Amino acid sequence: PLARCCCCCCCCRFLPTDEPDTLFQKVVVLVKGHDRAVLDSYEFFATMAAKELGITMAKVFEPPKDIERLTLLKSVHIYKKHRVQYEMRTHYRCIELHHITGCTAQVYLEYIQRNLPEGVAMEVTKTAMEKIPDHILEPMWKDHPIDDKPSK
Amino acid sequence: MALLGGRMFLSLGRSNISNLGLKQTTNRVTYATALSVNSSAGNKERGGRGSVGRRPRRDPGEPRTGKMPVDQDWASVYPSATPFRSNAVPLPVRMGYPVKGGVSPEKKGNLELVKIPNFLHLTPAAIKKHCEALKPFCTEWPSALDTDAKCDEHFPIKIQSSDYVSAGPSVRNPSARIVHLKVKLSSLNLDEHARKKMLKLVGERYCKDSDILSIKTDCCPLRQQNYEYAMYLLTVLYHESWKIEAWEAEKTAADMEEYSWEDSPSQKNILDTLLRMKVAGEGEEAEVREQLLARGEVQEYKDSVVRLKNEGANENSMLQYKEAVKKVLNV
Repeated sequence: PLARCCCCCCCCRFLPTDEPDTLFQKVVVLVKGHDRAVLDSYEFFATMAAKELGITMAKVFEPPKDIERLTLLKSVHIYKKHRVQYEMRTHYRCIELHHITGCTAQVYLEYIQRNLPEGVAMEVTKTAMEKIPDHILEPMWKDHPIDDKPSK
Repeated sequence: MALLGGRMFLSLGRSNISNLGLKQTTNRVTYATALSVNSSAGNKERGGRGSVGRRPRRDPGEPRTGKMPVDQDWASVYPSATPFRSNAVPLPVRMGYPVKGGVSPEKKGNLELVKIPNFLHLTPAAIKKHCEALKPFCTEWPSALDTDAKCDEHFPIKIQSSDYVSAGPSVRNPSARIVHLKVKLSSLNLDEHARKKMLKLVGERYCKDSDILSIKTDCCPLRQQNYEYAMYLLTVLYHESWKIEAWEAEKTAADMEEYSWEDSPSQKNILDTLLRMKVAGEGEEAEVREQLLARGEVQEYKDSVVRLKNEGANENSMLQYKEAVKKVLNV
């Protein structure tokens, strides 16, 4: 993985580091918008970008849309029988990526998010995998036996 | 009026300033007269509002689309997200509600095309170029971890967190601090007592079917803090479950997680019943009981009772109990 080097010279800004890369088992990108055509184009862009960067896509699907409707009075004062109805439609698109490293995920997500069109929101759920930390491998009571104090 | 003022300055003897002033006044005068002639001749309807300082209007000329070659580099026309410009996009696009008896309005001066977000800066060629530039910063997935089973074996702890991107008064989203930690208990180093104690400590956070312990932390304001708190909870649970306290020796049958048949009232009852039926041969009581226990029917009865107590009363378990009872009592 690469990290920014602190020196100000513009020639080499990124140097390889020894810090271990995070591994993501699953990255789910959910995009929400009011316009289905915009989400179609965005999906084409995101899938193509993933293919070019060599990321495995598990699923690309469209969850059903949500419609929020409200009924309001048409007039400012009285006329209760005359109402007007509005609705807000939220369309969704879901892209699931499997087996992606931390660096690649950062690059891909930043690219995707910088090109997010106006009026579209995104929710990214990352599932990272980790090893069991060293202090949970063995119980500590084996080396340090407990005292006979009554615990509360 | 202006010329008279200039002459007055001359008489005062400030030659430089007066020369400049004279030139400016003369320029202004000539410009104004030229303009006034044009404005009065041409745009009488405008009420003369634009007569001072107004340049003559030029014709727009041919739009840029006419001069674009077919094999041009489109990424240089639309390098980043820009609103739609009808004279820069060489496509015959129409958008909007059709005019009565006609088609949608054309692209020139069309607000609908400007309002909708366009992806003209993200053509396939542009995406490929961007990805080529981004490739050096990506790393490859280790080839040894192909399947989920291998991933679970080497990396059993799963940390799940969410990021939110949206437009609004604030960039922050408070739900981004929530961290879910999921571990399979089979991957932790626990013995029987530790496992049972862990299940008692954890309570509802454990799912029996999938053997996954999930801890959700959202008490701290930052995600890093919540993650560290989750790891701390896991460590504490693990070490506490290995501890054996003095009061744990007082565990009664009601505290047990699973039903065990040995030394239970059910075992005593079945043995007493069989002894009274005088099924086995004569001998000492302890030996007779052992012989009875070793019998196949008694073992089947034991299995059916254990299943009933643990799983509950469904059809299959009741049928199994019925068959076992019939065999044991020779009915």
